[in-house]
Amino acid sequence: MKIKDGFMLRKVADSFIVVAVGDRVKEFNGIINLNETSALLWRTLEKDVTESQLVDALLSEYDVDREVAAKDVALFIEKLKEANLLL
Amino acid sequence: MAVKRYKIADIVFDADVKSKYVESLCENYAYSGDTPPAFKADVTKSDIDFEREKDDINSQNYPDCYYESLALFRKLCNYALKNADGFVFHSSAVEVDGMAYLFTAPSGTGKSTHARLWREMLGDKAVMVNDDKPMIRLLGEKFFVYGTPWMGKHALGAPIKSEIKAICIIEQAKGNSIKRISPHEMLFTALNQTIRPDSAEDMDKLLSLLEKLLSSVGLFKLCCNISREAAELSYKTMSGEENEN
Repeated sequence: MKIKDGFMLRKVADSFIVVAVGDRVKEFNGIINLNETSALLWRTLEKDVTESQLVDALLSEYDVDREVAAKDVALFIEKLKEANLLL
Repeated sequence: MAVKRYKIADIVFDADVKSKYVESLCENYAYSGDTPPAFKADVTKSDIDFEREKDDINSQNYPDCYYESLALFRKLCNYALKNADGFVFHSSAVEVDGMAYLFTAPSGTGKSTHARLWREMLGDKAVMVNDDKPMIRLLGEKFFVYGTPWMGKHALGAPIKSEIKAICIIEQAKGNSIKRISPHEMLFTALNQTIRPDSAEDMDKLLSLLEKLLSSVGLFKLCCNISREAAELSYKTMSGEENEN
């Protein structure tokens, strides 16, 4: 899975924000606010990855159980799907 | 109609003005000096249609000339962001003792009302820079707010520029309180009070300007009612006359 094209994630004023650019602006003109963990997952999802690669990405940065990380990843993916942000 | 030359936010440009409305709106910004125009703004029918489609406040039924004025403003903002470290900041900007204070809030919350309270309290000391769509520019290391012809429904403002001292979010409340907020807390308001460009390159410019702005001016949030007490509290705190509690 992968984030759709036309979104950019930036760190501004200690915030992780995502805005749409290009043609994507026509369907999405909001601002997404991410925490540090979600930002890491979003960055990873800018390339085509599997759910288990996302869990690996979390584990490489945070000292948590694989089970906990997997739950977080599943929850985040669910949110992205609801918002129709995944390819 | 005719090609006119203007200077807005220290940017000299030509515009092919199509309506009396836009001509009269911009007349205080007409320019006849020696600086050559930086660009030419040609508002087309499709620009006007674009603004009409985006209009979610006036049910899209204003005459073309109104949308022409918005299209002209958008072109100026595009140019300013790409070339002049400038962007619009939807707010009511008041100058006092040579420094500018910007009140911002969603439409209808009372930023213009609060600016009026300042004028009633401070008299001639308070000068309106712009009551709706001032422009902000980074010049050297300092941020300045500029008057523009787009001054809101009471047409309050002047073709002047003023260094920004503080920006304040206004929220309606029964009582009055004010506090300093962080750049993080101001960021979302700021992003919603400006025109966000479509291209990633321009968006990066805007974000970098906003980040600098938010770290170089005072940031406040005022919860207030409509009273002189509210104006006294915000003025004393934001001008630094009285320490916040």
